[in-house]
Amino acid sequence: MGMGLMSGSMIKVVIGPQHPALKEPERFIIEVEGEQVVQVTPRIGYVHRGIEKAMENRTYIQNLYLAERICGICSHAHTTCYVQAVEDLLSVEAPPRAKYIRTVIAELERIHSHLLWLGILAHEVGFDTFFMYVWRDREVIMDLLEEISGNRVNYAMNTIGGVRRDLDQEKISKILKGLEVIEEKAKKYIQMIQKEPTILKRTVGVGYLSSIDAVRYNAVGPLARASGVKRDVRKDDPYIAYDDISFNIVTRDEGDCFSRMMIRAEEILESINIVREALSKLPVGDISVKTRLVIPPSETVSRVEAPRGELIHYARSNGTDKPERYKIRAPTLANLKALCKMLTGIYLADVPVILAGIDPCFSCMDRMQIIDCEKKEKQSWTLDDLRRYAREWYQKH
Amino acid sequence: MNEDEIITSLKNRFGERVHNSKIAKPRRVYVEVDASIIREALSYMRGSLGFDHLSTITGLDSEERIELIYHIVCGNSIVVSMKTNVLKTNPKIGSISDIYVTAELYEREVYDLLGVRFEEHPNLSRLILPEDWPENLHPLRKEATLEQIKSRLSMNGDGINERFND
Repeated sequence: MGMGLMSGSMIKVVIGPQHPALKEPERFIIEVEGEQVVQVTPRIGYVHRGIEKAMENRTYIQNLYLAERICGICSHAHTTCYVQAVEDLLSVEAPPRAKYIRTVIAELERIHSHLLWLGILAHEVGFDTFFMYVWRDREVIMDLLEEISGNRVNYAMNTIGGVRRDLDQEKISKILKGLEVIEEKAKKYIQMIQKEPTILKRTVGVGYLSSIDAVRYNAVGPLARASGVKRDVRKDDPYIAYDDISFNIVTRDEGDCFSRMMIRAEEILESINIVREALSKLPVGDISVKTRLVIPPSETVSRVEAPRGELIHYARSNGTDKPERYKIRAPTLANLKALCKMLTGIYLADVPVILAGIDPCFSCMDRMQIIDCEKKEKQSWTLDDLRRYAREWYQKH
Repeated sequence: MNEDEIITSLKNRFGERVHNSKIAKPRRVYVEVDASIIREALSYMRGSLGFDHLSTITGLDSEERIELIYHIVCGNSIVVSMKTNVLKTNPKIGSISDIYVTAELYEREVYDLLGVRFEEHPNLSRLILPEDWPENLHPLRKEATLEQIKSRLSMNGDGINERFND
């Protein structure tokens, strides 16, 4: 696409909405003046699957399978939040061993999710070699998850009252071996992120969010922590085994895309240590308890620190085997307002990096339209076009 | 401030208009307030009690009324689920998007799925449902059946389903 398209005074750039991976695929209408973003209007819902309504029509056991499928990347975060909610409604508790196994899977999931994201951000800045290295290394974790659960994604480890599969010594030593590999790699990534000009040029100072705004816009997860807001559900509102395990909440003060990258790379190291500690303390005993299928009237709020931040479920039971209401709010929706704030006033060329910066699984936002307000003409842009535009822009500036 | 103190402060401030408060377990507080004071109550929670985070708003169909539950968090730890309700025949309530910025999106979601009108909302438009979704079909209301929703969905896409059937 030529620069001629950008010559109107006010242009609307429509990004999205196609994005099948998350619960909240999004479209952004970005109004630009020259190369500066003036206003951002988000629109979600394109692949809204009506899971909350579906849950009201299904039993608690059936809903476990729906919860597993809310997100393809952090399915364990959603089932953990779900089983925790249902167990609370039932007033039962999963056995300690089950809680530790849930913790191990949760952190392995965080590692693979963060690796996936590091790769995507590398791709966005045009550093595809890094992207391929990271995604190659991520396979170590995917293999471990498959070894433990039988599945690369949708591990189906959680069930109401515990977990479905145990960890034996052989699996534990495989996990520990895999973690050694990833630890070494993650340390290398951290060095590389801090030194590599391609990354620094495209991320330092880009997409700034102050700590005041991170709180004001209710940002969650690594996005908030990269702006110096020390919040992590694992620490502040502990669940499963996090109360018994020592770990640090990684925060940074820069509040830009660079710090978001560093936070996730450093969180991988924290997650490795959490898995190690959980495995070393793994309690002996059952991995699940039998539960009833009919739940008396009650309600509960369940929270989990998913790889992308605070995940919250609200459940109300009504004395039957189906919930009266089941509400889910995934982290990306919580970060949407903060994202709009970050996108306002920046250069169009920085849009892909900032969008990807909140880790919204945005890799598939694949079609955009440029609307020239004066001519009322529409032209389609793919994300590749925007990426190309961004790279060309950065070569010139 | 612990869970008990939060409830006490709310009761001291709003008296009879606060009811059915309970601490279900550590860090989980539930409280009901009159719809007329919801803005005032949330403003107080945010301004005076440190509840700077709105996690989400749950809308819930309970017979003649629609219940609204505002899940707010203090120090990322104590979650207060503040409930109120509006009549289903005239479901409207003041928007809190000036108190919590993110409420703008959560209120649009409740508007979309349960048909609650949030007054003074900066842009109360569809967030999730298609633009041409019928005004009177609110998917998360109990009277909206799966069949109704399915048949409405199959109408979308300008006959795209017919094309696939050929």
